[in-house]
Amino acid sequence: MIPLSETLSQGRELVVEIERRSGQKVADCYQCGTCSSTCAAADAFDYPPHVFMRLLQLGVVDRALTSTTGQLCYDCMTCSSRCPISIDVADVIETTKNIADEQGIRESERGLRLFRNLFLKNVRRHGRLHEASLLAWFNLKSGKLTNDMSLVPLILHRKKVRIIQPRIKNRAQVRRIFQRAKERPKW
Amino acid sequence: MVNTAYSYYPGCSLTSSAKEYDISFRKVVETLGIQLDELKDWNCCGASPAPHHKAETLGVLLPGRNLHIAGAGHDAIVAPCAGCYNRLKYAQYKLAGDENIREQTSEVFQAEVRYQTEVLNIVQMLNREITPEALREKAQGRLANIRIGAYYGCLLTRPAEIVGFDSPRDPRKMRPLMEATGAEVPHFPFKTECCGSYMGLARKDIVLKASFRIIDVAVSTGLDALVTACPLCHQNLDLRQGQINKAFGTSLRMPVLYFSQLIGLAMGISPEELELDALAVQPDIGRWLRGVA
Ligand code: SF4
Ligand code: SF4
Repeated sequence: MIPLSETLSQGRELVVEIERRSGQKVADCYQCGTCSSTCAAADAFDYPPHVFMRLLQLGVVDRALTSTTGQLCYDCMTCSSRCPISIDVADVIETTKNIADEQGIRESERGLRLFRNLFLKNVRRHGRLHEASLLAWFNLKSGKLTNDMSLVPLILHRKKVRIIQPRIKNRAQVRRIFQRAKERPKW
Repeated sequence: MVNTAYSYYPGCSLTSSAKEYDISFRKVVETLGIQLDELKDWNCCGASPAPHHKAETLGVLLPGRNLHIAGAGHDAIVAPCAGCYNRLKYAQYKLAGDENIREQTSEVFQAEVRYQTEVLNIVQMLNREITPEALREKAQGRLANIRIGAYYGCLLTRPAEIVGFDSPRDPRKMRPLMEATGAEVPHFPFKTECCGSYMGLARKDIVLKASFRIIDVAVSTGLDALVTACPLCHQNLDLRQGQINKAFGTSLRMPVLYFSQLIGLAMGISPEELELDALAVQPDIGRWLRGVA
């Protein structure tokens, strides 16, 4: 339940910003729930996609900004492809998440950020991803040492692993790409 | 237009956890007499973490570098990994649509960016090069004993305005070649459901639940196997199937083949050459091919 006292105009400006960046009109959503019923992760979110849309309609932006919806949504776009009035729900969620990042709002889903950071770090250094290192580093850094260890015998038996980190020649160019993206994340 | 040589972008997964995809794809293509030239010094496309990382630019520059390298090669580049294909198409879309993005990209690459090479996924390329009619001829009903489901997932078709390959809600482009194998290809209602994506390490609960539903529906649809073009889907549905069964107290068994493995079988390539033994959930090939000369 969303207390009515929260539905103030305080969030309007941010909603306008979210609409501008995503090119979507949150007011158009008529709460049919199709997005939520089609989202494979909705029950892990604190607000399923249609409730997330409702929060924005009501201007309860703080809740949207701190919600796990933005953090856990993996942009599969199932919701967007099914919305009967073609609202790009995934884009609305991602835009809101980006604004939360810009505002320095702390993520509660630390594991996911760790995963993304380690993934990109590996690619930045070597130009290609080494899956085995990613798993090892993730487990070390997250303290979940046994994570996916049950898969290891199978992976070894099926020879689905590379022992050595793959590396490209022109790593300097890849570093330049990452440097540029860090300096200017937007065009 | 038929290309006899393609640039080839395997991507990171196909060099390790999805090596059977790479090997079976190369085998099929070689059997067709088509040349594949692996992109020189290709880099990781950034997969899902790159665009998610507050950095729009990274999501274009990483795959853009591969596109730029491809620009010096053949007319078309094939990327069997649905994720790599999606990222290449995204970069191309952005570069084609915005001069500013082109200029900035050229500045980073220290050369005028090449971005116009035709980008193809495996289904498009094989449809063009084999054609369902020719495959039917070759297969002679070889896989008539089985029922298989086409599983598209997300990245092959979404977002449709960028990828432009098939309907994001009711994709059908895998079907003609799959039917040409002789197999029955019934409607698979979960063909576009998401498998849980890259959440496997950090939030296994989400992946296992999403993938459980797909496997469960595949079993109740009476399928003998699912077919996919995505290494990440494959990892979640095949490699993690034991974890799924453990989490839900089930004993589901659903082999998940790569598109190239299925087509290769229909062409008469041996299961060994197609690396079917690399699958976690082994198909009963003996039964599949029973009665086939
Ligand atoms: S599917 Fe579209 S209209 Fe329906 S609740 Fe979701 S966003 Fe709103
Ligand atoms: S894009 Fe996000 S919200 Fe939409 S269906 Fe996928 S995970 Fe759910």
